Amino acid sequence: MKKNVIELHSTDLLKIIEKAKKYHDQFNIFETIIADASDKKNIGSLSGIPYVLSDNISTSDILTTGSSNILKDYIPVYDATIYKKLKEEGAVLIGKTIIDELGLSNTGMYSHIGMVKNPVDKTRIIGGSSSGSAAAVASGLVPFAIGSDTLGDVRKPAAYSGIVGFKPTYGRISRHGVFAFASSFDTVAIFTNSVKDSALITSILKGQDEFDMTTLVDDNLDYIATLNDDIKGKKLFYFKDICDSSFYKDNKELTEILKNYELVIKKCKELGFIVEEIDFDKELLSLISPVSKIIAYSEATSNTANLTGIPFGERGKGADIEELITDARTKGFSNVTKKHLIMGNYFLQKENQEQLFFNTGRVRRLLVDKINELFTVYEGLILPTTGSIAPKLDSNLNENFELILDNFLALANFGGYPSITIPSGVVDGMPVGINIMGSQMNDSLVLNIAYKLEQVIGFEKDMEGDSHV
Amino acid sequence: MISKKELEKCARSLMLNIDEKEYEMLIKELIVILKEIESFEKIDGLIDVEPMTFPFVTYKNELREDCATDSLDINDVLKNTNQSYLDQIKLPKVVE
Repeated sequence: MKKNVIELHSTDLLKIIEKAKKYHDQFNIFETIIADASDKKNIGSLSGIPYVLSDNISTSDILTTGSSNILKDYIPVYDATIYKKLKEEGAVLIGKTIIDELGLSNTGMYSHIGMVKNPVDKTRIIGGSSSGSAAAVASGLVPFAIGSDTLGDVRKPAAYSGIVGFKPTYGRISRHGVFAFASSFDTVAIFTNSVKDSALITSILKGQDEFDMTTLVDDNLDYIATLNDDIKGKKLFYFKDICDSSFYKDNKELTEILKNYELVIKKCKELGFIVEEIDFDKELLSLISPVSKIIAYSEATSNTANLTGIPFGERGKGADIEELITDARTKGFSNVTKKHLIMGNYFLQKENQEQLFFNTGRVRRLLVDKINELFTVYEGLILPTTGSIAPKLDSNLNENFELILDNFLALANFGGYPSITIPSGVVDGMPVGINIMGSQMNDSLVLNIAYKLEQVIGFEKDMEGDSHV
Repeated sequence: MISKKELEKCARSLMLNIDEKEYEMLIKELIVILKEIESFEKIDGLIDVEPMTFPFVTYKNELREDCATDSLDINDVLKNTNQSYLDQIKLPKVVE
């Protein structure tokens, strides 16, 4: 049975570690299981609560690989701010989880030690890049996990595995000690089994950090206290064209997802929300996917430039320094990561910069400006989190999800918006989710809307706990 | 049209090698992305838009006092390198 942080009063760490090993054998969740994890009794609000961190989050004296061979032996000498905060509250780290290498993919298939399987159905992917953390919560092993969301990397795996994934406003939570992938998108994000737990963990992690100049001044709000605020009359919108099931008659799975979505919209209206459909330039929405890739891969080229195999990582071989670094990087990165980095460098070449990199930044602004304008009228955008259920492991999946519904999550990263995914039902035996995105800084309102919806969706009745494990 | 030569230059400046087969796949994937953004040309006034680099500015530049602070302990610095000599990370000769 999956547990919430708020309901979990006592834990047997030894049993959880044993369970972690068992689940790892089944789903390939961990880079490191901390077998000697210990509970320092009663030191904070999360005293004794077990959790996991994605392996791109620095933990001193604990291996932190970024799920890449280039860092396979790397042991940080300092703690990420978020790890420090969780330690201070007494939470017990039981493991570091697998991600797609350095966070550069979004399927959960590309870590240096293999793909992560979905605990709901292990013949399917769980999505990524924060794949192991999603699996740890979805399997019922821990009540919460921390990952990073660059282009939906927490919210999509959450939807694929039937849990809650919350990406707060850009800068709400410190990224000090989190490996950078695309610095203008990267956000620390949280997996839980309930919105209330997301509010609790975000309240603990948020706040300005002198070590991260992009952090926001704390809003000093108690996100749990605002969960029950009245939502009657709050206005939500959705994009008409991409939610019209008549466009997808041949796609039975998507038709079912949209049926579930329509039910959620009905529930929203019953709760007192005003929900309106919006005409939005579909051509512009179809650019979300390439814009995501061009910006993310370009930013990644500089963020990975320090991985030379010299100050840390496996030392390469060569007669001179250039050969030595080239050897370390060529052997240390997977082919997929190398391709992404080379593409990023191509977009940044002087002759391509204006046409590719700068134009992409311009389209990003056009999209964000239009969404900001809508947020002067509406409190939230509500859409199905994905246009498909978790694909099969052997479905010959590449990274080109073609539907706008499979790519729009990146909008929240373009504009730094808070965005949450909650489970909304089951299609073909697999969970599907609903996503709510709010305006910048309005994290408490997004959690409030999601909490109210969670009360009436009744997902748990369809798919109970960890009975699938 | 993307040439392999251009991509080899990009790979070299990143200090990466990939094999022939990977170059073929890379070109295919790049073509898909470039095809997707062909519609940039149809967007009126795109050139006049300021490219967006961050969601919003969250910081202001502040000058701090120029105080000496503790830096990393030398043992910590050397912990992650597998080639060191005395208190330094060992490198091949750079200057002839």
